[in-house]
Parts: sequence; structure tokens; C-alpha cells
Amino acid sequence: MNRFDINVPLVKLLVAKDWQLFEKQLALYVAGGIVALCLLGMAQRWSFYVGSLVLIIVLVSTACFAISNSLIVERKERTLAFVMSLPVTPMDFHVAKLIGNLVTFGVPFLIIAGGAIAVVLLTPLPDGLVVYGLLIFGYIFLAYCVSLSIATVVESEGWNTFAMISSMVLINPFMMVLGQIPSIADNISRDAVVWTTPAVAILAVQVVVGIGVLAYTTIAHCRKPTFY
Amino acid sequence: MQSNQRLHSMDNLRALAMLAGVFFHAALAYSPIAQAFFPTADRSNSAWVDLPIWFLHLFRMPLFFVVAGFFTALQVQRKGIGGMLRSRWVRVGIPFLLFLPIVHMAISADTLHAARTVAHPSPLLGFIRDLLAMGPLPSMPPGTGHLWFLYYLLLFCVLTWVARALGPGGLMARLAAVPPLWLLVGMPLIVLPSLAAMPVPHPAPESLLPQFWAIGYFGAFFLLGAVIQQHPLLIERMQRHVVWLLPASLVLYATFVWILDGSGRVATLSAGHLFLAFLEATISVWMTVACVALGRMLLERSNRVMRYLAGASYWIYLAHLPVLLAIQYRLMDLPWHWSAKLALSIVATLALCVLAFELLVQRTVLRRLVGTSRHDNSPEGLVGFAPP
Amino acid sequence: MTAAFSVSGLGKRYPHFELHDIDLALAEGEIMGLVGVNGAGKTTLLRILAGISSPDSGTVEVLGHSLPREQVAAKRQLGFASEDMRLYRKRSLRWHMDLIARAYPDWDESYAGILLKRFALRAEQLLDGFSHGQRVKALLLLNLARRPRLLLLDEPTTGLDPVARVEVLEALSDVLRDGDRSVVFSSHNTHDIEQLADTITFLHEGRMLASCDKESFIDRWRRMVCQGDWTPDLAHWPQIAALRRSGSVLELKIRDFSDDLAGRLKGQGLDVRTVHPMSLEDIFITTVRAGETA
Repeated sequence: MNRFDINVPLVKLLVAKDWQLFEKQLALYVAGGIVALCLLGMAQRWSFYVGSLVLIIVLVSTACFAISNSLIVERKERTLAFVMSLPVTPMDFHVAKLIGNLVTFGVPFLIIAGGAIAVVLLTPLPDGLVVYGLLIFGYIFLAYCVSLSIATVVESEGWNTFAMISSMVLINPFMMVLGQIPSIADNISRDAVVWTTPAVAILAVQVVVGIGVLAYTTIAHCRKPTFY
Repeated sequence: MQSNQRLHSMDNLRALAMLAGVFFHAALAYSPIAQAFFPTADRSNSAWVDLPIWFLHLFRMPLFFVVAGFFTALQVQRKGIGGMLRSRWVRVGIPFLLFLPIVHMAISADTLHAARTVAHPSPLLGFIRDLLAMGPLPSMPPGTGHLWFLYYLLLFCVLTWVARALGPGGLMARLAAVPPLWLLVGMPLIVLPSLAAMPVPHPAPESLLPQFWAIGYFGAFFLLGAVIQQHPLLIERMQRHVVWLLPASLVLYATFVWILDGSGRVATLSAGHLFLAFLEATISVWMTVACVALGRMLLERSNRVMRYLAGASYWIYLAHLPVLLAIQYRLMDLPWHWSAKLALSIVATLALCVLAFELLVQRTVLRRLVGTSRHDNSPEGLVGFAPP
Repeated sequence: MTAAFSVSGLGKRYPHFELHDIDLALAEGEIMGLVGVNGAGKTTLLRILAGISSPDSGTVEVLGHSLPREQVAAKRQLGFASEDMRLYRKRSLRWHMDLIARAYPDWDESYAGILLKRFALRAEQLLDGFSHGQRVKALLLLNLARRPRLLLLDEPTTGLDPVARVEVLEALSDVLRDGDRSVVFSSHNTHDIEQLADTITFLHEGRMLASCDKESFIDRWRRMVCQGDWTPDLAHWPQIAALRRSGSVLELKIRDFSDDLAGRLKGQGLDVRTVHPMSLEDIFITTVRAGETA
């Protein structure tokens, strides 16, 4: 059997299993996302800030939740041994977790990011916010990919929690750093989307590194013949 | 078989609500209140038009949402929550994404054409004409247009999943066990804050972002429909109240009209506005409940014409507005009485939509999205956007 | 007869533990008990057989599939339950049964129903409300109803209270006899092994000390009480695995017992008073100690 062969029905089963296990929390985040969109839709200054804040909270918690529930909790509650006993290879397991995470985090992430950009472009808000917003979403994406990879590779719950919380908390300093870069900060309040070299470079690094670490962990899993 | 019988009345109600929708939009052109904002507002208009349409406005869409809630719950019961969401995606999500740009472009193009060519433009057309004279039109924030119903339907389907995943079990049963009188008093109070936040008469929630008030207002009716599906006895218990619900709603509406005094303008957040919102909320609930109860009493039979209209109602709902506006733009300069223009625009719109339904929908791939199976009497075949 | 599994030259290294050069096989339809103290290597061996862990050296064949390469094919015909394996607390046994039924085409729903009754479990109950004994039974049910050709059980009776332990053992002995499936199960409790196994394997500190069928195991060992003086020559007799002296009374633990042994001991000045068969526990402890001194 080739290590790249995927046991598709079992992968589907594992994804469906995770979906059923986390449906409740996921529903909670979707509800939070809808409330945030409604707040944005009120077109008031205060509701815009509160709505944006709720959106970021929902995104960050969805990210942490997806990783923690699908990988860390399974280890902690020792249900992982049960899953490993099913007719799956480590690669099947990894792919199932990747797909599950793409659904639980990726879909809300894309909807919220797309929605937020649309709101900026379609409302009187300065369009310069688009670049700033994309860099923030890019940061969340990167933090998520790094945390997910660490959770896949490292078994220690403490390190995982540390990696997840620290990478997400660092969003604040990151936003401050963005504010210190004149070519990015100065364009936020302009009513035009201006892509400067630092902005493009930061976004490119976020995307490339994010996808890179996920690809690396996937390849590492291809090499693993069994779970232990 | 009881559930199938109930299906007939829900289908018939859907067909009637759809017809009421065509009438409502057609009549806006001849309503003094709508003169300021409706693109085909005609020189010939009458306050008599306002009387029925703003009454209709208060329960036409709520009734649609009751029907939608009913069929959504039915679908969850039959196919599970995943099956419901999948079929809603095909029957509501895809049509929404497909028709939104088409409808938007059709109406925009025709409106721009009318703004340039109509001799007796409406205030809105005149405004567009003035803007055109000054240069290129500023871009408008795109909205959902009259397809907002689909947008909220999708949202409510997602919220149905959220509620089932999070909600306490037995909530529906508890709601259904509420005595009818309590429901008739309580539900207006529940939707009151939503309506109080809006001008009178309330506009359509056409923004691309969801609105709290629309979720609260229409969501309450969607929930009512789902409760009725789960607990059909509820609507039977409502039936004995129909005798007073209708006249009482009419009396409340008379009060509403008297306070509104034809101006259509009462400052929001005033005591008068709150009272008007209260009247709106009460009429909304009472008339919607009365319609559902009357439907159960009178419309349980399957009638060929009504079944056809129910099947075609989704398509007619999607297509009627661009067709209607196209007809009414062409009627604007004619020196006819408003009643003739109204009658002609309704009949022509329905005829063209039915023709298009036969030619463009039932014989093409669109049938899967917005059409109906010809020989299928199952709800899957009969239902349009409210059902699967 | 085909082998349920066979391993040869099997080795696996961990930072603080190493499994050394194991050669072992089990004929199909047999029940093998793995006896060993904690850290003997039972779990490591079972994980390798279950296709979850891969060996650093040696070859593994399970039900005709070479591991770890054909782990998925092997796992389809395997049942594996370990003491550290937990089910999802917030889900019912029914939910788990549906999950397993979808993962294993051979799932036997009617047999699952019989096992539910046999184990007195309620399918709709959440796992959260299960006692440890019920959790073990639930795991057994999930494994047995998939009709595995080889069942691997790691410490199934560990941590159970006496009543639950007896219940699980009785249930196991009932269901294990009703088919031709092969079973390997581990325990540090020799009584459990003695009750269920056909073949017994002793593991200690990553090495296999002994492996043979239960009857010959019991048959080969004796506890002899003798009177007389110990002569240093006796220490070189391979049959004497252990010796305890109390004055002129000697207690010998004998491996590879034969009827002529009493006569040979007499020749050495020892008068045999009694000869008793040994319990498996005694045999195991003696083997471990002899292995250590060896």
C-alpha cells in the first residue's frame, strides 16, 4: 500500500465523527458570527467596533476550538487510541483532521474575511482598511496554521496551549507593529486600496509560511509508517 | 394522511401570498405613500390603493415565513438537519446567488432606460435623471433587492441548525402548549421591539448584512410555522379565535390609518411611533394566525389551479419584479386611470411569468432549482422556495 | 494451520525501554495470554500486532498481512482494545456502535444486540454514566460485534473491582468460546490468564521468557519439598529453577519435571517428601526470578 493512498470512506467517517462531536460548539460560533454581522449591519460607529471585535473573537476562538477539540482533547481524553485502532493509517488520520479543521475553521474564516472586506468596500468606510484587514486575517491564518502543525506534531498539552494562546495573543503587538509601518498605517484612512511593498511582503510571508508548515506536517505524516 | 392534508392548506396559502405579493408590488406604483421611493410611481394614484396594500404589507411576508418555517420543520423531520440544509442550498442558496445579479442587472438597466426616456417620471426616476445629467451615477451599495426573502430563509435554515444543536429539547412542545390567547397577546409583544426600531411602514431588509430587526420579526413567524408543523393541534386551537381576529385586526388597522393620516411619516422613537409599531405587531400576528387558521378551515382541498400556482410561485416570486417594473415603466406615460394600469400590470406580469415558467423553467435545468415536478404530488414536487 | 500472527526477531526501542528479539506465533483459533509485570512489553507487543506501532527490527505478519505495510487490511480484520483506550464521554454507546458499523463491513448488528443483553448495557446511555466495568464491556462489545478474526486485548481486567472483573471474565470466556477467532490478551494477573488462555507467554523487561500451551506449562513445573542436605552440584541442574532452605527442609521449584527426578535427587541425598503442581502465578514468579539471576 502506498503511503499516499487515502482510505476515503474512513476519512469521511472520521470527519463526520468530529463534526458530530463538535457540532454544539460550532453552532455557538456560527451564532456569534451572525450576531457580529448584524452588529456591523446596524451601520453605527459603536456597533461597527463591537461587531468587528466580536468577529475577531469568534474567529480566534473558532481557530483555537478547532485545533483543541480535534487534536488536543482527543489525546487528553484518550479517545485517540480508539481512533487509531480503526482501519486507518496516520496519513488518513492526518488528512481527516486537516479536512475537519478546514471545515470548522476554514469555512467561517473565509466567510468572515470575505464579508468583512465586502463591508469595507461597500460601505462609506475608507477602502484603505482592506489592506490592513487582510493583513490581520493573514496573521490569524498564520497563527492558526502554526498552532495546528504544532498540535499535530507535539503531544504535550501544555506546549500546545502555550503555542495557541501566545500566537493568538500576539495579534495585538502585530497590529501595533502594522501601525508603526508608515506605508501601511498612512493608507488605512485613505479611500483607496493601496498595496505597498511591505504590505505585500507581509501578506506573502503569512500565506507562504502558513501553507508551508501545514505541508511540512503532512509530508512528515507520510513518512510515519504507523502512529507510534 | 393528516400531514398531507395540512400540506395542501400550506401550499394554497403560499400561492395566495405570492399573488398578494404581485398585487402589492404592482399597487405600490399607484400608492401616494410609495410615491417618494418606488421607481414606477405613477401620476395617477389614489389613497384608496394605500388602504389595502399597507394592511397586506403587515402579514403577507410573515405568512410566507410561517409557510417556510412549516416546510423547513417538515424537511428536518423527513430528511434530518443535514438533508434539509443540503436541499435548501440547492433550492434557495444557488437560486439566490444565480438570480441576484440577473435581477439586479435587469432592473438597473431598465430603470436607467426609463430614467432617460419616460416623459412623466416618478420622483425617483426624476432624481436619477438629474444625477445622470451631472455625470456618471455614483455606485450604490448592492443589496439583496426583493430576493431578501431568500437571504433570510437561508439564514433561518442555518439558525434552525444552531437552535437544534444548542437549544434545549422540548422547546417546541413548550411553545405549542402555550394557550392560544397567551400566544395572541405575547407574540405581538415579542415582535414589537423589531418593528419599533423601524419606520412605519417598515421597509424590506435589503442590506447584504443581516438586520437584527428582520431576524427578530420574521424569525418569530418562521418559528411559529415550525411549531405548527410539529404540533398541528396548535392551529386547530387557534381556529375558534378567527371570528374575532379578523374584525379586531380591521379595527386596529383603521386606528393605524387614522393615526398615520396618509402622511406615512411619524418620527421614530416617539410615543406615537411606538403605538403604531404596537398596532403593526398586533395586526401582523393576528392576521397571519387568522390566515393560517382560515387556510386550515377552507383551503385543505387540493385544487389544480392553486397547486399549479403554488408550484410556480417560487419562479413568479423571483421573476415578477423586473417584469412588473418593465411593464409599469411603459405604462407611465399613458393617460390611463390607475385602476386600469394596476389591473393590466398584474395580469400581464402573471401571464408573462407563467409563460416563462413553462418555457424557461419546467423544460430546462432550472426546474431542479426553482421549478416543480409535473406529476409529483409529494411535497418535494409541489414546493417552491418555502418547501424543499 | 495458518497463523493468526507471527513475529520474528521483533525489536522496538524507546528511550527507557526496549523490546528484544521476540519470536512468537499463534495458530488461528487459539487464545494466548501474555503475562508480565508493568513495563514488561505487553502493550508494545500488542500495539505492534494491532498495526498502531511499527517495529524497529524484525518482521510482523498478522492474518497473512505484512505489517506495518498492510496495516489497514489487517486492522479491518482485527479487534483491539486497551486499558488506556477511552470512548467519547458525551456520546451514547449507540453512537459508537453506529460509528464502528460504518467502519467495519462485517459488523453484526444482531450479535451486537445479543452482546448488549449479555453485558447488561443500555445502548442509548451516554458513556459518561458508565462505570469502568461497563466501559470495558462496551469496548468488548464494539470489538466483538465487528466479528474480528484476531482480537487483541490489552489488560482488559485491570482496574476492575472484583465483581466487575469476574463479570468481564465470565462474559469473555463465554464469547471467546463461541467462534474460531484468535485472541491475544495481556494481564499482570495470572489467574485471569489461567482461566482463559490456551497458550501462555511470559514477558519480562522486554524479553520473552517462555511461551507454550497451558497444559504443558502446568505439567512441566512442580514444587518439591525434600529433606536432606543441599549439595553445590545441584545448583547446576537445569531443572531446578529456585531453591528455598529452612534447616534441613528444601523447597525446590522444578522446570521440565520428569518422573525420574525423585530418584535422581535421592541419589544426591535428598529425600522427596511431597510433589505438587504449581500455580501459574508461582511459575511466572519463579521464571522471572530465575531469568533475572540467569
